[in-house]
Amino acid sequence: MKQTILTLILGFTLFTYPFYARAENASSIELHILSARTLSGTAGDYVTVQGEITNSNSQAVNNITTYLSLVNADTKMPVDLEDWSAERGLFIETIDAKETFPLMWKIHFVQSGSYTLTIVANIEGNDMPIASKLVYFKVSPKKNLNPGHVLPVALGEPILIIFAFLALRYRKDKKYR
Amino acid sequence: MTKFKYIWLKDLRAELYTWKSLAWLLVTSLIFSVTAYLLLTDRELSLLDHTEMLWLFGKIIIGSALLVVVIDAASLITSEFENETIEDLILTPLSVKDFVFGKLLAALTLWVLVYVVAVPYMVVTSSGTKLMGVFLGYTALLGTLAVLGFTMFIFAISFLYRSLKNTLTTSLTLLLALSIPALFSTTLKNNALARILGIINPLDNIFSSLDNVLVDYKVSITQNLTFIMPLVLFCIVMFVILIFSTKLFTRKGIIKG
Repeated sequence: MKQTILTLILGFTLFTYPFYARAENASSIELHILSARTLSGTAGDYVTVQGEITNSNSQAVNNITTYLSLVNADTKMPVDLEDWSAERGLFIETIDAKETFPLMWKIHFVQSGSYTLTIVANIEGNDMPIASKLVYFKVSPKKNLNPGHVLPVALGEPILIIFAFLALRYRKDKKYR
Repeated sequence: MTKFKYIWLKDLRAELYTWKSLAWLLVTSLIFSVTAYLLLTDRELSLLDHTEMLWLFGKIIIGSALLVVVIDAASLITSEFENETIEDLILTPLSVKDFVFGKLLAALTLWVLVYVVAVPYMVVTSSGTKLMGVFLGYTALLGTLAVLGFTMFIFAISFLYRSLKNTLTTSLTLLLALSIPALFSTTLKNNALARILGIINPLDNIFSSLDNVLVDYKVSITQNLTFIMPLVLFCIVMFVILIFSTKLFTRKGIIKG
């Protein structure tokens, strides 16, 4: 009986070990955003998101894909990063035990507003992604020097040229009448 | 009155008293209106740095002016051949030099008109920056040199072709051939051949000088001599080609062969 119980325990342990080990691997990966204080700026600015990924486990972790997740806090909707960053994601083949990798994305502030940013990592074989803490930042609107003054010129000058043309034509007609 | 003035005023009157020239100016003005409005108000375009915005606008002004002047200059001399009025002009006590100089002034006047149309746009886009003066000044200087060189080349081939179609096709092809590499990014100009072509390409020098002035704040003439000297050289070469072409025309006469 004892032997049967021991065999069952051993069998269960052997069966669940890979799941346990993967879970341990996943939980041992930590993500941090280092440039949280320097992220705010004005629309049009280019800023660098710096982060790091650490494997605090005693085993190496393979095939990790990291990417940014940006949410507009005003509209409560995720932002398509297509215009914001040319670098969609960073792939790391292996992180050795106790190793830290730097992560870097250059992003272009396209629209003003309040945002939350997270770095997310997908590890091959894990069902759960790993995410860094949320970072809150603001993008202030870009104020051009004189956008209000352009409209009178943009509309006025073509109209002025049409009037000049009509005046010249009138002068010509008057001359030859 | 100096003789060349007759030719200049004749062409100027022909330009101003027809809708053609003013229609071009109107179209040019509309291009500047749309560009300036978009640059200052469009959500994505207005994200450009203000200096880059001025640089882009400067390129559009000179590019549009060149297109207008090249098309006009192609017809200035060839129209005299095609309308068979060249014989009458040659029979008058007017030298070929006066004839060419008068035509050159007519083409330059059109550039001046395009520039005058562009001035309010340049003022409104650059007001509030310290670059308004240099933007106006360098656009005038670089545009004048480019227009002068291109017009002399077009006049030279006008005497050789004596046909509007061929002159216009050659002129526009040349303008296009020089414009495309000038618009390449710096990464595409890394090899030796591209760099050499960049040095001798007048449009490349114009865009680089505008970049130097507006983006890098190198505003003095001495800091831009690297770009202005090739343009001056381009004008000298075109002047020599024009002289050669007019000599050939004088020797061969109106009726070829």
